[in-house]
Amino acid sequence: MPLAVDCTAELIRCKVLDSSGRLKSHELILSYGLALVRFVNLITERKQKMVSIPLRQLAREVDIPIWVVDLRHELTHGKLPRLALCRKGCDVVLEWLRKTYWSRQLGNNLCEESEDEEEEQEGVEANAELDNDAWEIRTPQHEACQKHKEFHEKVRDVLISYKNEQFRVMQTVQSVSKSRELWSDSSSEVDWILAQIKDLMQENRETVAEALLSDGFLIPKMDCLKMLNIKYEANKEVWQFKIPQTFYCFWQPLLTGLLSRSFTQILIEKMFMELKECSDSSELRPQFLINWISEMLTGIAKVNAGKKRQHCNKQVSTKELFLHKVPLQWIRLTDNCLEAPCWATPHLLQLILTIMRPRLPRSSRKNLLYLASVYTEGGGPLSSPGLSSDCSEQPIYTIESLQWRARQENQVKNQGQTVEKQEDVLERDDGVEEVEEEEEEMVTETNPLEGLAHSGNVVAIAEKRAALQGSAWQITADEVRWKDFPLGKLPGQTDDPDGLMLDNYSMMSLLDQPVRDEWKSPNTNSAELNVPVTGGLLWTQNDFHKIKSGLQLF
Amino acid sequence: VGIVKCSPDRGLLVSESMLLALEELIQVCCAEDEGVPVVLVCGPKNTGKSTFNRYLINLLLNRLPSVEYMECDIGQTEFTPPGCVSLSNVTEPILGPPFTHQQTPRKMVYYGQTSCEQDTERYLDVVKYVFSSYKKEVPLVINTMGWVKGEGLLLLIDIIRLLSPSHIVQMDVYDWKAMAPLTPEYVHLTPGLYTKGKQQAKCKQMGMSGVGSWKSSEGEEDASAPEYKLLYVHPEFPRAGVAVHSGILRDMSILGYLGQLQSPDIGAVLPLHSLVPYQVPFNAVALRVIHTDVAPTNIMYAVNASWVGLCRIPDEIRCQTDGPVLLTQTPVCDCLGFGIVRGVEMEKKLYHVLTPVPPENLRLVNCLLLGNIAVPNCVFVGQQGVEGEIPYVTSDYNYSILGSGKLKKKKHFKRREYAFECDYT
Repeated sequence: MPLAVDCTAELIRCKVLDSSGRLKSHELILSYGLALVRFVNLITERKQKMVSIPLRQLAREVDIPIWVVDLRHELTHGKLPRLALCRKGCDVVLEWLRKTYWSRQLGNNLCEESEDEEEEQEGVEANAELDNDAWEIRTPQHEACQKHKEFHEKVRDVLISYKNEQFRVMQTVQSVSKSRELWSDSSSEVDWILAQIKDLMQENRETVAEALLSDGFLIPKMDCLKMLNIKYEANKEVWQFKIPQTFYCFWQPLLTGLLSRSFTQILIEKMFMELKECSDSSELRPQFLINWISEMLTGIAKVNAGKKRQHCNKQVSTKELFLHKVPLQWIRLTDNCLEAPCWATPHLLQLILTIMRPRLPRSSRKNLLYLASVYTEGGGPLSSPGLSSDCSEQPIYTIESLQWRARQENQVKNQGQTVEKQEDVLERDDGVEEVEEEEEEMVTETNPLEGLAHSGNVVAIAEKRAALQGSAWQITADEVRWKDFPLGKLPGQTDDPDGLMLDNYSMMSLLDQPVRDEWKSPNTNSAELNVPVTGGLLWTQNDFHKIKSGLQLF
Repeated sequence: VGIVKCSPDRGLLVSESMLLALEELIQVCCAEDEGVPVVLVCGPKNTGKSTFNRYLINLLLNRLPSVEYMECDIGQTEFTPPGCVSLSNVTEPILGPPFTHQQTPRKMVYYGQTSCEQDTERYLDVVKYVFSSYKKEVPLVINTMGWVKGEGLLLLIDIIRLLSPSHIVQMDVYDWKAMAPLTPEYVHLTPGLYTKGKQQAKCKQMGMSGVGSWKSSEGEEDASAPEYKLLYVHPEFPRAGVAVHSGILRDMSILGYLGQLQSPDIGAVLPLHSLVPYQVPFNAVALRVIHTDVAPTNIMYAVNASWVGLCRIPDEIRCQTDGPVLLTQTPVCDCLGFGIVRGVEMEKKLYHVLTPVPPENLRLVNCLLLGNIAVPNCVFVGQQGVEGEIPYVTSDYNYSILGSGKLKKKKHFKRREYAFECDYT
C-alpha cells in the first residue's frame, strides 16, 4: 500500500477514536503519537541517503512544519505532549497529506480511487521515479540518426549506379543470356563502383549490408525481375535453394569484390535477421533471402573444401562468389539460423553444420537437425497446408499442431451439425500471456470452436444445476450478461460507497477444534475442548472459559 | 521464438551429495521389509529443495505406483495455490514448475498466509491435522519452509517431533552456516517453539520456574528420542541461495488454478468475469478473515472481489438474523478449493463465487476463509469489454509524488559520528 495512504488511514482512525469519546486522553495521546511518529519517519525515510541527514532538514525539504518534527522528538524521546498539541499535529499532517498526495493523485484521475484497507494489494509496478530528462528530445541521438540516414543514402546511390551499369550492358547486347557472359567480364565501370563501395565499407559495414538487403538490390522488386526476364512464382520449391542464374550473374561481380571474410559474416547474419522479420516465407523477400544464404553457403563450402580449379575446363566460369577460403564464426551463424525458424531451416542448418570447422559432435548435429525439422515441419504457422496430412501421424510438438488436432476431432464430432462461423473474437488470456515466455500470439482466425464452446457451456451449466439440487449453492436462473460487469460489481449495484455496509450479522463460535494433546501440558487452564457425544454436560467449566475468551466483541 | 542455445549451467545440476542421498532414499523406499519411510526435506531458501523433491518423486515413481507428498511450505506450494498445507497423492511425474501441474490434494487446509510468523500455533495445528490423514501405506515426502532462522528453526524442530520422519534431508549451501546439522541428538535436546527438548525438562526438575503454559510441564519430556537418518545435501548449482521471484510463481499458481475454469476444449479463452458464477445465501456459509481484524459491519468490503478458500466446518451454521454469519476464530478445517467472490448482493443476500470446484463437492462448502493471498493483479487489470470504472483498479498513478511508494524496510544507515542522531541544536 502506498505510504501516504497508510499514514492517512492511521491518522483518520485516531481522529475517529477521538470523536467517539471512548478513550481517555492518555490513550488518545499514545495513539496520535504513534501515528505522527510513523508518519514523520516513513515520509522522510525515502529521502535519506547513505549517511543520515538531520530530520529537520528533510522535513524542510518536503514542506513539513518544523514543529511537527519537534513533536515527533518529544513523543519519542521526551515527555508526552498535551492532547491538544497532538490533535493539532494530526490536523496539520492530514492537511499536508491532502495537499501533497491526495489532491495530486486524484487530480490525475477523473473518478475516485476506491480505498482498499483490508485487501492487501501488492505493489503493482516498481517504484520508479519519473525522470524529467526522459521527456527532452535527445539531441545527440537525433544527430547520429541523421548521419546514419545520409550514409545509407550514399550507399544506395552507389548501388543504384551499379544496377544502372549492369542494365546498360544488357541493353547493348539485347539478350539476357549474352549479358550473363558480359557481366562477368571485368569492366572499369564496375571496378570504379567497387572501389567506391569498399571505401564506404571502411566507414560502416553494417549499413552497407543493410542497404544491400533492402528492396531493389539483392532482393529484387518485381519490375526488376521482369526486366531480367525472370519468372517469379510464389511456390518456394521451384528454385530449389538457388538464385535464378540471371540474377546471380547480375550481382556476382559486385559481390565477389565485397565478400571479404568479415563482410560475409555480417551479410549472412543480417540475412538471417531479416529472415526472422519475415512472417510469410512464400513471399519474395524471404525466398530470396533463403536462396542467397544457400548460394553463399554452398559457395563457401566449395572454396573451403579447396577443390582444385579445373583449368582445362573452360566451361567452369569464374562466376564464383568466393575466391578464397572463408572461415566464419560458425557458432554464431548456427545461433542466427536457429533464431529464424522457417521451412528452409533444416536445409540451411544442414549446410552450416557440414561446412563448419571445427565440427560439432555427430550426435549434436543429428539432434539439432532433428529438433529443427520437428520445429519447422511439425505444422508450424509457416508451413504450407499441404503438410497437414502428416500432422495426424506425427506426435504433437507445437501449439499449432495441438490446435489442429483438436479441430480435427471436433469436426468429426460435428458431422451434420451446421456450425456458424463467428467473426473474429478478441481472445484474451487472463494475463497468462504476459508471464509465459514462448507464447506466440493467439491466432484470431475464424474459430469454429467458439460456437462449440458456447453450446458446451449451456450443457455444462445444466449439469451443474442438476448436481446442486437441494443444496444452498445454486446457479442463478436469471439471464445475466456477466461479461458486462467486472469482478466486484454486480448488476444493479450502485456506486454508493456505503453500498456494502452490513446492518446485521451474527457471530458464531466453533465448538470442535483440534485437540492439542501433543503438547502434553497437564496445566488445566489450557485444556482441550472435548465435545462429549452423548448427553450430559455439554461443556466443562474450562471449556466455557475458553469459549468466552475466544469471543471478540466489537 | 526459435531454438536458443543455453549455457550448460542452465540445466539441472545434480551434485554428488544429492545423488548419494537420492540413491539411499530410493533404496529405502523400495525395500519392502522396513515399513514405510517418511522423508522430510529442509533447508534455507533457494537451495533446491523443490527440485530435489520433484526429482526424488519422479525417480520413485519409476518403481512405485504412487508416492505421497505433504506440503508444509505455504509460500511455495507445489500442487495447490499458495497459503495451503496439503497432502497429495502423486502418480504422475512432476515435470515443470508448480503452475503447470495443479491438482487436487487428498487433504488440504487453507492457512491463509504465505508466512506463518503471525500465528505459528495455528500453523502447527494445521500441519498436525493434515498429517493425521496420512495412512502409512506409501512413502511420504515432506517439504518444509525455507524459514530456518531463529523462530523458524524452533518451529522446524517442532515439526520434526510432530511428524517423526524416518529420514531427514538437510540442504545447505555454505556448510552448516545457515543452520546446525539436525542430528537426532541435536533435535532431541533442543527446545522447539512449543515443545521442549530433553534438557529443558531436566531444568524443570531442578525447580526453576517455567514461563508460559506450553513450556511448563512438571518433569515430563515431550518426545522420546527421535530416530531418523540425517542425509546432508550440498547443492552446487550457480545462484544457489539467491532469491528468486517467489511472488511471481505464486501468482502463476493461482492463475494455473483458475485455468480450470476454462472449458477443456481448446477453444477461445473466456474472460473470468464473463463466466457464470455460483451463488450462495449469506446464512448458508460462515465467513472469517484470517490475517487481520475487520470490523464486522465492513466485512463485505474485504470479501468483495477477493480470493477465498472454500472450506467445510463440521458444525452447522447457526444464525440469528438473515445477515452474514461471522466466525469468532479461525477454524482448522478441510479446504475443498478456492474461488473469487465475484460480487456480494446485499438485497438478495447472496455471495456470487467463481470457482472450479465441482458441484458435488461445492455443496459441502459452508465456510469461506479470507486470507492475505490476493488475486493476481493481472486478473483485474486485464478485464476487457467493461464500461466505466473497474473496481479496485486505478489508472494514472503518479509515483513521483512523495508518499506514493510502498512501505519498504530500509537498511540501517551509518550514523553520523555524533552521539545523537536527532538534532537539538
